[in-house]
Amino acid sequence: MNPPDLRRLQQGDKEAWDVAFDCLWPAAFAAARSVLHPVLTNEVEDVAIEALEALAEKVRSLKSVEDLKPLAAAIAHNRAVSLLRERFAQKRDAGKTESLDVPAGESGHIDEPVSEASPLDKLEQKELAELLRRSLAELKPPQGEILSDFFLQDLCYEEIVQKRGVPIGSVGVYLKRGLETLLKIWCREENK
Amino acid sequence: MMNDQRFFDLAMKVIARQATDAERAELDALLASKPELRTQLARLQADVRLAKDVLPLVKATKATGEILPAYARERLQTKVRQTLGRPAAGQKPDRSLAWGWRWILGLAAATAAVVLIMAMIFHTPRGPIVQVAMLDTVGAVRGPDTNQLEILKQQWKDSTIQNFDKTDLLQNWEQNWPAGNKMTVKVIYDRAAGEVRVLLHKGDKTEQKTFLVEQDLADTIKRASDFIQARQE
Repeated sequence: MNPPDLRRLQQGDKEAWDVAFDCLWPAAFAAARSVLHPVLTNEVEDVAIEALEALAEKVRSLKSVEDLKPLAAAIAHNRAVSLLRERFAQKRDAGKTESLDVPAGESGHIDEPVSEASPLDKLEQKELAELLRRSLAELKPPQGEILSDFFLQDLCYEEIVQKRGVPIGSVGVYLKRGLETLLKIWCREENK
Repeated sequence: MMNDQRFFDLAMKVIARQATDAERAELDALLASKPELRTQLARLQADVRLAKDVLPLVKATKATGEILPAYARERLQTKVRQTLGRPAAGQKPDRSLAWGWRWILGLAAATAAVVLIMAMIFHTPRGPIVQVAMLDTVGAVRGPDTNQLEILKQQWKDSTIQNFDKTDLLQNWEQNWPAGNKMTVKVIYDRAAGEVRVLLHKGDKTEQKTFLVEQDLADTIKRASDFIQARQE
């Protein structure tokens, strides 16, 4: 899919926005889902739409089309975190103890997902978008994929070798360099 | 001598609970012989927590495949028109008009705005949200049938017609319902099967009715539309 033309987006061109929505929707949706699933899964779509609406308000301040996806994801993430906090606050105020929106039997116990402060939650949308943009640019393939396999998919070294076709000795090297890259980007910001 | 990479690999496996007994023993022995490595291990544990916070969002930013629901596209385009449809910022107003004329023009504009707002309020569609799609699995090879698309467009003028050439994409679209209690209708014209399916969704209930294209598409579309209207009443 070709990236949308930023100048046409800034002028409110309908066709350019149609292209942009198709291109940005998966990122906004996935960012919202990564926060809201499985507690508020029904809200994912609404949050993603609101994020793209907010993006339309900010598009004139953007300088590069490359900033669009990270900003869409960052807005969706921050809105999802706010919504989750708001719902848990309501739940606490109401003195309820059951989980929100999770069908009975699907999950035994749901922890409050944002009770532990994440470094991401302290960042403003633009800062978060900038760090995401840098992460995408600086995590050279297959570093990002291997980090994701190991930390998110819980694949072991041998499974990563099979999935990615890299030598067993390289898995740890990719992990180490990838982790160092993430730290360089995210910790510098965190320590500001 | 133990190198950095070996220590890193052992630490990662232990932190991820993937280490074998032998690897765990190797790391324990290493920490016993070099206590300063405990600090590094603790730092790596913190680094892993950060990575687990950050990576889902990095991964989300690269996501593809999710399809924008048609109703969302319409809502978003409305937002774009409202936000960016105005004259560009920085455009200087015309100062050549006399103050008297400005008054009159201002009053006229305000009146027009009020009329427009009233018209929007009183003409808000009260019917269900209708989303329309056409499944044409050979369309990509043959080219889309514009006549049939036109028939669908004429019946549901306010809806964007989605054109799918793969059943899995259509199924994904079919399962995407907007939140809320307002009735939403999905109309699917399956060209190969020669049928028009109507899905009505309200709350958590979905009802389906299939209309075979017996004579011509326009006739079938009309029957489907009548069915939707009857259900709405």
